[in-house]
Amino acid sequence: MTPDRIRTEGGVEYRFTHPDDFREHVRDRKGRSPVPKLVTAKEAVATFVSDGDYIVYDFSSLTRGPQSLIREVIRQRKKELWIGAEFTLHESPLLVGAGCATRIDVGFLGYGNYIGQAVCDGRVKAYEWTNGGLALRILAGARGVPFLPTRDMLGSDNMKVSAAKTITDPYTGDPVCLVPALNPDVAFLHVHQADVLGNARIFGTNLFALEAALASFRVIVSAEEIVETDEFRKDPMRTTVPYFLVDAVVHAPFGAYPGAMPARYEIDLEHVDRLNAIRTDEQMGIYLEENIYSVGDHDEFLDRRVGAKRMRELRRRATIVEGYR
Amino acid sequence: MRTIEFTDTEFMIAQGARLIEDGKTIFVGWGIPQVVAMLAQKLYVPNVTQLFEFGAIGPQSVLPFVRGTMGGPQNTYRSLQWLNMNWAFSYSATGYMDYGMLGALQVDPYGNINSTYLGGTFASPTRRFAGSGGGNQVASHCWKTIIVIKHEGRRFVPKVDFISSPGYLDGPGGREKAGLPRGTGPHRVVTSKALFGFDKETREMTLLSVLRGISVEEVVKDMAFRPLLAPEIGEIPPPTDDELRVLREEIDPDRFIIRGEKMSASA
Repeated sequence: MTPDRIRTEGGVEYRFTHPDDFREHVRDRKGRSPVPKLVTAKEAVATFVSDGDYIVYDFSSLTRGPQSLIREVIRQRKKELWIGAEFTLHESPLLVGAGCATRIDVGFLGYGNYIGQAVCDGRVKAYEWTNGGLALRILAGARGVPFLPTRDMLGSDNMKVSAAKTITDPYTGDPVCLVPALNPDVAFLHVHQADVLGNARIFGTNLFALEAALASFRVIVSAEEIVETDEFRKDPMRTTVPYFLVDAVVHAPFGAYPGAMPARYEIDLEHVDRLNAIRTDEQMGIYLEENIYSVGDHDEFLDRRVGAKRMRELRRRATIVEGYR
Repeated sequence: MRTIEFTDTEFMIAQGARLIEDGKTIFVGWGIPQVVAMLAQKLYVPNVTQLFEFGAIGPQSVLPFVRGTMGGPQNTYRSLQWLNMNWAFSYSATGYMDYGMLGALQVDPYGNINSTYLGGTFASPTRRFAGSGGGNQVASHCWKTIIVIKHEGRRFVPKVDFISSPGYLDGPGGREKAGLPRGTGPHRVVTSKALFGFDKETREMTLLSVLRGISVEEVVKDMAFRPLLAPEIGEIPPPTDDELRVLREEIDPDRFIIRGEKMSASA
């Protein structure tokens, strides 16, 4: 990330990219050629995530979140990350606790005292965009426009601690809120199926999967299952993201663990309770060591820390399949 | 007369569920409002359409409630439509959402909601919480917002530390002046002891009714501001057997959500 992408206004820092700069990045740096992009999580994160990057992810801590990629970011000890936190319970405490993240656009800050205390202690800076405001920023980035107007955030104190602006709408003459486009450095999407080229499918709802893929400089898809390209052509209504937005594909069965993958496996509530119980740096350190630093990669984590028996049980509990494939 | 025993949370949830109108749409926030909507749909309003910011339109949630989840297979089950956040907020922004239901950390006489921090300053808070989430959009767009909050005096303050989601802001005309959609705003505040509305003229929080057996003085004594009082204060019956059975046996058998301070009232 280049430092001039950070703007400061009235003590509020925010990320902004001129739409033409983003377009030129797409012209010059994003490949259109359908080539295999299947790599390990280690390679994907080492290649496409840098210190100082702005990261967004889809969907939530407990459902279809890219948890194996988040753990790999922590394992590689990335620094000075900025995260756009929506539906975030555990990613923010883990990334801050591991010393990886120093700024959070909120959204939803996260669950529990650990992350709240980190903000109070000044270990991480928080800015308030609200869920809808952040989603709209990403949509603006995806539409190639510098901002989008909205009729929320107005009158609230979020306006003072974000770079949202109130202007007079030239059509109605009423005040309207503008949020600046957000072009994250990296988007992590965990999906049900992808092919090696990067075509990707999510079954179920999402936050802003396509918007984030369009708006982000780099996109890493982790997939429960790798399928043939022909599967997409047979059922194109179900394509969430086409290949040319995607920079890397990682095969990550149980990639959303300890969260659920709809119709594939359920939440591991016991593991989630362990995360929820983290209060102190010491407890955080023990968790990180056991589940992230002491294992080489996601496969080893599943083998040694989760285990086949547990995974079988979580698969067995995923009984709701209606609406999914 | 028979005495019913329940928790403050159970009463708050049951009260909230009774307020939802059948045949209407409701934008449901994270946590307690999800449970309120489940109880309402199960017992009272089969034709209510729930909407969630994670893009589930009209789901019929699978019970029991999985605590903490937003957008899991249980609470997107049998939806009419699956979308994403920008589309979900389009339904509220265009006026299709009759009700919104939100929790709150702190609320003031104008129904402004704080869910961001308590004490100190924004940059250096005493205690920091999760922030608005999608509550800001719900409180901004929905025609009538219902706030669900435990009846603890410290939560009712003359001025919230931070307006995460807008009520009537600084009073009559405040929302319109800020540019929020016309004719919207907080409608009811459901607490574990009472029910409040908002005065049509002054937009101030107004006590409408109290739990059977509790006095008005007991309700207002802990509040850090004095609410207006309706000309006649109504009486709210305690949770019914059906409400408690569905809550305890079907929605939250592990009692993660419904536990709380023990209360009782005459059936």
